[in-house]
Amino acid sequence: MNKIFKISFSLKNTYRANCVLYAIKQIPILRKVLPESVYKIRDLKILANVIAALWEVATAFLGKLFYFAIIIFGLSQFYRDVPQNQVFLHILLFLTIIGAFLNTGIFNPKKDKYYAIMLLRMNAKEYTLTNYGYSMLKVIVGILPFSVIFGVLERVPLWICLIIPFCVAGAKLFTAACLLRRYEHNGFVYNENAPSKLIWAVIVILLCVAYGLPAIGIALPLYVSVFIMLAFILAGVISVRKLISFPYYREINQQLYSQMKYQMDAAKHANKKSTEKIITDGTFVTSKRKGFEYLNELFIKRHRKILWQSSAKITLVCVGLICAVLIFLNYFPSVKAEANYAVLNYFPFFAFVMYIINRGTGFTKALFMNCDHSLLTYSFYKQPKFILKLFTIRLREIIKINLLPAVVIGAGLPVILFASGGTDNPLNYAVLTVSIICMSVFFSIHYLTIYYLLQPYNAGTEIKSGTYQIIMSGTYVVCWFLLNLEIPTLMFGVMTIVFCVVYCIAACILVYKFAPSTFRIRY
Amino acid sequence: MKFIIEHLSKHFGTKQVLRDVDFAFDEGKIYGLLGRNGAGKTTLFNCLNSDIKADGGSFYFEENGVRREVSAENIGYVLSTPTVPEFLTGREFLKFFIDINEKSIHNIKSTDEYFDYMSIAYEDRDKLLKDYSHGMKNKMQMLINIIAQPDILLLDEPLTSLDVVVAEEMKQLMRTFKQGRVTIFSTHIMDLALDLCDEIVLLSHGELEAVEKANLDNYEFKNKIIAALRDK
Repeated sequence: MNKIFKISFSLKNTYRANCVLYAIKQIPILRKVLPESVYKIRDLKILANVIAALWEVATAFLGKLFYFAIIIFGLSQFYRDVPQNQVFLHILLFLTIIGAFLNTGIFNPKKDKYYAIMLLRMNAKEYTLTNYGYSMLKVIVGILPFSVIFGVLERVPLWICLIIPFCVAGAKLFTAACLLRRYEHNGFVYNENAPSKLIWAVIVILLCVAYGLPAIGIALPLYVSVFIMLAFILAGVISVRKLISFPYYREINQQLYSQMKYQMDAAKHANKKSTEKIITDGTFVTSKRKGFEYLNELFIKRHRKILWQSSAKITLVCVGLICAVLIFLNYFPSVKAEANYAVLNYFPFFAFVMYIINRGTGFTKALFMNCDHSLLTYSFYKQPKFILKLFTIRLREIIKINLLPAVVIGAGLPVILFASGGTDNPLNYAVLTVSIICMSVFFSIHYLTIYYLLQPYNAGTEIKSGTYQIIMSGTYVVCWFLLNLEIPTLMFGVMTIVFCVVYCIAACILVYKFAPSTFRIRY
Repeated sequence: MKFIIEHLSKHFGTKQVLRDVDFAFDEGKIYGLLGRNGAGKTTLFNCLNSDIKADGGSFYFEENGVRREVSAENIGYVLSTPTVPEFLTGREFLKFFIDINEKSIHNIKSTDEYFDYMSIAYEDRDKLLKDYSHGMKNKMQMLINIIAQPDILLLDEPLTSLDVVVAEEMKQLMRTFKQGRVTIFSTHIMDLALDLCDEIVLLSHGELEAVEKANLDNYEFKNKIIAALRDK
C-alpha cells in the first residue's frame, strides 16, 4: 500500500509539475528565455514540484476556507430569525449531501487515474483505495480548522465542530458505497462530472431546502442535526467494509475513462461545433451585394443570433432599466440627491457596463471559427488589400451592432441626470452621451484590432497566444478597477473621449501597418 | 517556368527542421514529396505559403532567365483536412471567390458548370458547407484552387481520407491540371506517389533531394526510396 501510494503520488506530482512548467512556458517573455529542454532542468523541476506541492496544500485548505467562510458562514448571516448555530448546521448538512454526490473522488474521471491504471497497469483496487484514503484524510484535515473557527463563531458547541469533518467524510463514504453497490446490481457507473437530470433536480431541491427554509424561519433543530451527523459517521464507518471488499475498481475506471475520452474528444471539437451551431437558418438568407460586402452580409445575417438579436435584447433590457430608474425617482424623490451624485461621480462604472455588453469577443470568435479559420488557408484571401478591406467592413459592422444599446444608454443617462435634479454645468449632459458612444466604439475597435494583430487561434481552433490572453484579462481588470472609482463625470468623460479617439486612431494605423503580416493562422 | 528554392532554412527552438532546402522544380510536373514523420513536409509547405516565416533563404520563379517574386496569389494550398467557410453554401462560396478574383480568372464559367466539372450533385450546391461531407468539402477546396490557376499547387496528403471513387476523380483531375504549373504533392503512401507523380523528392535531414528512377522497375524504385530514407 505504502509503495503504491508513493508511486501514485509521485506520478501525480510529476504530471502536475510538468503542467506547471508548461503553463510557465506559455508566458510570452519567459517562452523565449526558457530552453526547449525545460522539462529536464533539475532546478526548474524542483521549483515546479514545490509549486505543485503548494498547490496540493492550497487545494486542501483554500477551497474549504472559501466553502466555510462564504458559502456557509457568510450566507448564514442573512438569516436573523433563526438561531445562528441552527442555520449553520442546517446549511452545512444539506450542502454535505450535495457534496457527497458531486465530489465523490472515486467516480471522478481524471487523467492521472487513467495514466496509473490503464497505461502503467497499476493494481486498480490498491490504487483507488490508497488515493481515496488520502483524499478522505485531506477532507478531514482540511475541514477541521474551519469547522472549528466558523462553528465557534456561530456558537456551535465545540464538540460538534470537532465531529463535522468526520460527518462530511462519513457522508462521502456512505454515498460511494451506495454507488458501488448500485454498480454491482445493474452495472451503472456514476460519473460525478455528468450527473443525471434526476440528481440535478434533487440538488436544486436540496439547495432550496438549505437556503430557502431558514428564510421563512425554519431550520433543523440542533439535536436533529447532531443526530443526522452521528448517523453519517456511523454509516461511513460501516461503508468502509464495502469499499474494501468491492472487486470491480478496474472495470469502473475503464468505463469512466471511456466516458472521459468521449468528453475530451467532444471538448476538443466543442468550441468549433458550438460556434458552428450559431449559424442560423441556411439558404433563404441571401444577399444582392458583391465580393467582400457579399461575404460580410451573409456572415452577419447568418450570425444574427449572437450579433443583432443579442444586441437588440441588451438594448431592450437597457430601455427597461432606464425606465425603471426614472419611475423609481418619480415615486421616491428622497433618493434623487444620491442618484444625482452617483451619475456625476461614479460614471466610470459605465465603462464596466460597456465592457460587459460589448459583442466584440463573440463576434471575433465566430469570425475565426466559422469564417477565417477556413478562408485563411486560401492564398487569395491573404492578400494585404483584401485583409484591410475586410477589416474596414467588419469594423463598420461591429460598431453598428454595439452602437444600438450605446445610443440608448447614452440618451438615458442625461435623462436620469435631469430627472434626478440636473446639473449646473450643461456640458455634463453632452459628455455623458458622447463618452458612452466613444466607449462603445472603443471596445468594438479594441477587440477587432487585437484579433487582427495577434490572431490567437491555431488550425485546431485553440487559443495559442499568451499575449492575447493577457490583453483580454488586462481589459477585464482595468474595467473592473473602474467599477468603484469615484471621479467627477466631466473629468472622466473628457478623459475617456480623448483616450478613445487617440486609441482608435492608433489602432487603425497599427492594423493597416501590421495586419497583412500578422493576420495568419498560428502554427 | 521553373520554381526555385534556394537555401531555405527554418528552426523551432533548438530543432533545425529545414536545414538547407535547395531545389529547382519544373513546370508541368507533379512532384511526390516523401519524408519520414516529422521530417518537415508541412513546415516546408507553410514556409512556401508564407504562413510561417522562414529563417533564411528564398524562393522565386525563373522564366527565360528572368527572376519573378512569388506572391500570395501564385500559390494554391490544399490541406489534408479540407477547410471551407461553414456559413456559406457551396454556390455562395464559389460566387464570392469569383467576384473578388474576376480580373484574374480567365474565361469565367457559370457556377453550375464548375460544379458539374467537379461532379458535385445538383441538390448539394445550395446546402451550407457545414453540412457537406469530408469528400465534398475536399472537392470544393480543390475547385477553388483549380479556378484560381495558381503557378504552384501544394497538396498536403490530400487523398488520404477520401473514398476510392472521389480519390480516383481527384487523381484524374490533378493529371489534367498539371500543365502550366508546378504541383508538389506530399504523401506517406508510396504507391500513390509512384502512380501519380512524375518525380520523387525526399525531404530528409532538412534537405530536399530527388531520387532518380533511371531504368528501375517500380519494385526496385520503391526499395531504393526506402533505403534512401532509412540511411539518412
